[in-house]
Amino acid sequence: MTNNINMNEVIEKVAATLVTAGSTFREDQKEAYRRVIASEKMESSCWVMQQVLENAEVAEKSRGPLCDDTGIPHVFIEVGPNRALTGALMQSIKAGIREGLRRLPGRPMAVMGDDYARIDQSRGLDPDSGALLPSPFLVKEVDEDILRVTILMLGGGPAIRGITQRVFHRHDVSIVIDEIVKRAVEGVKNLGCSPCTLAVGIGRSQFEATSLMMEAMAKGNYDVQSEFEQEITQKVNEANVGPLGLGGKTSVLATFAKIGPQRASGVRIVALRPCCCFEPRRASVEID
Amino acid sequence: MIHLTTPISEEDIAKLQVGDVVSISGDIFCGRDAVLPKVCKLIEEKRLSEKGINLQGSVMFHTAVSPAGIGPTSSNKVEIEGSFEALSKAGLKIHLGKGAISQNTINAISKLNAVYAIIPPVTALLGSKTSDIEIAAYPELGMEALHKVHVSEYQAIIAAAQGRSIYDK
Repeated sequence: MTNNINMNEVIEKVAATLVTAGSTFREDQKEAYRRVIASEKMESSCWVMQQVLENAEVAEKSRGPLCDDTGIPHVFIEVGPNRALTGALMQSIKAGIREGLRRLPGRPMAVMGDDYARIDQSRGLDPDSGALLPSPFLVKEVDEDILRVTILMLGGGPAIRGITQRVFHRHDVSIVIDEIVKRAVEGVKNLGCSPCTLAVGIGRSQFEATSLMMEAMAKGNYDVQSEFEQEITQKVNEANVGPLGLGGKTSVLATFAKIGPQRASGVRIVALRPCCCFEPRRASVEID
Repeated sequence: MIHLTTPISEEDIAKLQVGDVVSISGDIFCGRDAVLPKVCKLIEEKRLSEKGINLQGSVMFHTAVSPAGIGPTSSNKVEIEGSFEALSKAGLKIHLGKGAISQNTINAISKLNAVYAIIPPVTALLGSKTSDIEIAAYPELGMEALHKVHVSEYQAIIAAAQGRSIYDK
């Protein structure tokens, strides 16, 4: 129960979790790389993926950044039936993020100034890594009796190439899949930092689709792929973009998709993010 | 693997082919969107030496330099790709970044015996191979200032040389 939560402990746990998210590949992520390295026949593409995996080993050992674009912290919180998320707890999570950014260290990229100055970046950047604010928290109730905080570090390249837009489905799933594939191929080509992991959310509004996409990034597993996810991955890989755009059959390692409730109409809102070769950078912690 | 040490000679660059994997060591420069147009202006005004900058045989890595480390940004941004020809005229031999660049740019640098190489965004690996970081010019730009760093065996792949590109399919 939150009344008994030690807030200093929360700050410490969240800070350590942020550092893990920014520095560490999960085991299923490493294994996904080992699989594609073993099967990729194009030498230069294989070399890129070996470098990415070697980089992850060095980052994990040093607890330092996987990439110099350390990303914007995004927070996904799962709340069980007997747990409570209070304003005080949210403040402690934010304090933990601030501390974690200083430890990683995050790239100092908080844009300073008023509304206008933050848009045109005319007042520069705050030199304090910890000044970078997290995005609004995404909260979901779950059956499990836990309060779990997942931190995701979202880089700028995928944000530039991501797209949230309608698809008219014409009562045919293949139309939606083909549109996702078309958008993904374009995004992966332009991203540069491939192989990607595609994050997809399909919902009734831009907000819902993006929330579902966030959940897909927070929960997706390279070892567990649905038929829907596999079909998208396979079709995008047929485009032969390859790691860093060098060609080969590994443009995408996997697809993490979450399909929510749908609108009674001919439209589906699809959120798509071509996560870079290090993403989803994420780690979770349970708050006792 | 082809080993190159800065300052890189005209002869060594002339031998490079698209797809070659190179290992770069020595002092190199780091700059991206904010500073590269300023460096180009210095070249145009023949004032590069006033800042103590000598680009002959050198490498420009398209990256910011921050406490989080270094890693390539997209080289096809207007301000970055727009610097290739001027920097090559000033003697720069390797433009180091990521992403496809235009055929016009490839032709321009090829005529000046310079190449474009891409490097995976492996910040942790690069950190263990980078030392002696100093600001070379425009300190007011912070992490986007022109930096000079010493690197040891940065591995990269030649993506454009002699009029050809690795992205030609």
